[in-house]
Amino acid sequence: MSSENIVSVVQQFLQSYRSKTPTKLKLVDAYLAYIMLTGIIQFVYCALVGTFPFNSFLSGFISCVGSFVLGVCLRIQTNPQNRSQFLHISPERAFADFLFAHVVLHLVVINFIG
Amino acid sequence: MESFSRSVFLLLALLSVSQCKSTLPKKTLVLLENLYMKDTHSIFFEDLKSRGCQLTFKLADDPNLALSKFGEYLYDHLIIFAPSVEEFGGTVDVQAITDFIDNGAGNVLVAVSTEIGDILRDLGMEVGIELDERGTAVIDHLNYDVKDRGDHTLLVVDPGSVIDAETIVGKKTKTPALFQGVGMTADPDNPLILEIMTGTTTSYSYFPGDPIKEYPHAVGKGTLLIAGLQARNNARVIFSGSIDFFSNKLFASPVLKSVRSGSEFKQSCNQELAKAISQWVFKEKGVIRVSSVKHHKIGEKEPPSAYTIKDNVHYEIVIEELVRGQWKPFMLTDVQMEFFRIDPFVRTYLNKTANKKAYYADFMLPDVYGVFQFKVDYNRIGYTHLFSTTQVSVRPFQHTQYERFIPSAYPYYMSAFSMMIGLCFFTFVFLHYRDKEKKE
Repeated sequence: MSSENIVSVVQQFLQSYRSKTPTKLKLVDAYLAYIMLTGIIQFVYCALVGTFPFNSFLSGFISCVGSFVLGVCLRIQTNPQNRSQFLHISPERAFADFLFAHVVLHLVVINFIG
Repeated sequence: MESFSRSVFLLLALLSVSQCKSTLPKKTLVLLENLYMKDTHSIFFEDLKSRGCQLTFKLADDPNLALSKFGEYLYDHLIIFAPSVEEFGGTVDVQAITDFIDNGAGNVLVAVSTEIGDILRDLGMEVGIELDERGTAVIDHLNYDVKDRGDHTLLVVDPGSVIDAETIVGKKTKTPALFQGVGMTADPDNPLILEIMTGTTTSYSYFPGDPIKEYPHAVGKGTLLIAGLQARNNARVIFSGSIDFFSNKLFASPVLKSVRSGSEFKQSCNQELAKAISQWVFKEKGVIRVSSVKHHKIGEKEPPSAYTIKDNVHYEIVIEELVRGQWKPFMLTDVQMEFFRIDPFVRTYLNKTANKKAYYADFMLPDVYGVFQFKVDYNRIGYTHLFSTTQVSVRPFQHTQYERFIPSAYPYYMSAFSMMIGLCFFTFVFLHYRDKEKKE
């Protein structure tokens, strides 16, 4: 009974995701999935190999986490459903902020990595 | 101008005098109860004189007594052989004597008897030794000498009851000592107190001849016969419960136990013991100092302004002992050095150098940076407290000293760069896609 429920919920979710989500947000989601995968791989690698160049691990992992957070922020700000909350931030502005934050993040990451 | 040069000369003369002070005769004030004691204890005093002590005999109630004048202490050592004194003359009181110990680092030898006065009990309290009341004596019904008058207070003290420290009591002998006087106790947790001579398991301290109604002040091995204190400033104090211990009579007396009598000894070891104890208390023995400390990286001569983590470091310390007024290298095997920052990071025994004049340790600094100390803290019974710290700073590797690319970190490098490349791709696609949407 419950498993059927879950299946139906997931099906409904996928269906509405396919039909209602704008393609641009799907692009962002694909980007986020890629970041998450990279982060998980690094974490598993660290668990296997050990924390020896700990600063390298931290900067590699944090670059993933940071990118993910910035991507989520971009997705929130460019989502048409949230328009009412971000009236004064246009999607272009949101993307510019996103890029600027990325520049800062990667400067820090490169400084710390090795 | 002339007066200036004269004052400079005077100053230099004064300096040179203070420098050679260690070879000057030690000024010692002896407070006696009565002047007969000069005769009854003459062997002890003659021995002190022959070892370079300049004795000044005074009666304990001499009205002109003073330990210091114009803020300068007049004496190096103080001997109080005045058991029954109730009040010292002049400016000497318990406070003056404790100041003499605390500020002047003066050494004090006190011997009392059953006639003990309250002021000496107070002085004992000040240094952490509790003396029993006037009229009491240490009694031992199993270890008394044949010459005892019936109170069983003339004790035969076997060498086993004497502290195992050669600097304090000299070489071990098999001859027993004789003791007659009051007992003492001390807090066993007090690390500065030395139990130089204790009673046996059958000894206790009470009024001789009286039936025992209260628990005695001291019982068994907790009864101290001779107690010592080495204060934190290395001043030394000895309390002997027996003034007769230092007397000519007991020095020359034969020893024979009444009960379970073993062999008779022709002469007690009081004289040797008194000599050794007085040598210790007047700092003729067991005085050590650090004369120099060197440290540098192995293969270099001078210490750097700061060490780097994981450097190989050479540390060298010269420790000297005062032997008959001369500083001689002090060589034992149990000296340790700590490389210390809040906690010790390295603790190692020090080795002797080839010429047997110094100690050294070669070791690798820990992989931790900060402000460290080379620390030698040598605290042994019978020796003055030796403490030396040398502060150095240890810094991390410079940028150029690191390994640049570590193979096991390549995945992290890849991930960081893939994040950047991914960002470029994403930017391109994101912007491009929006354009296409607008066209539609």
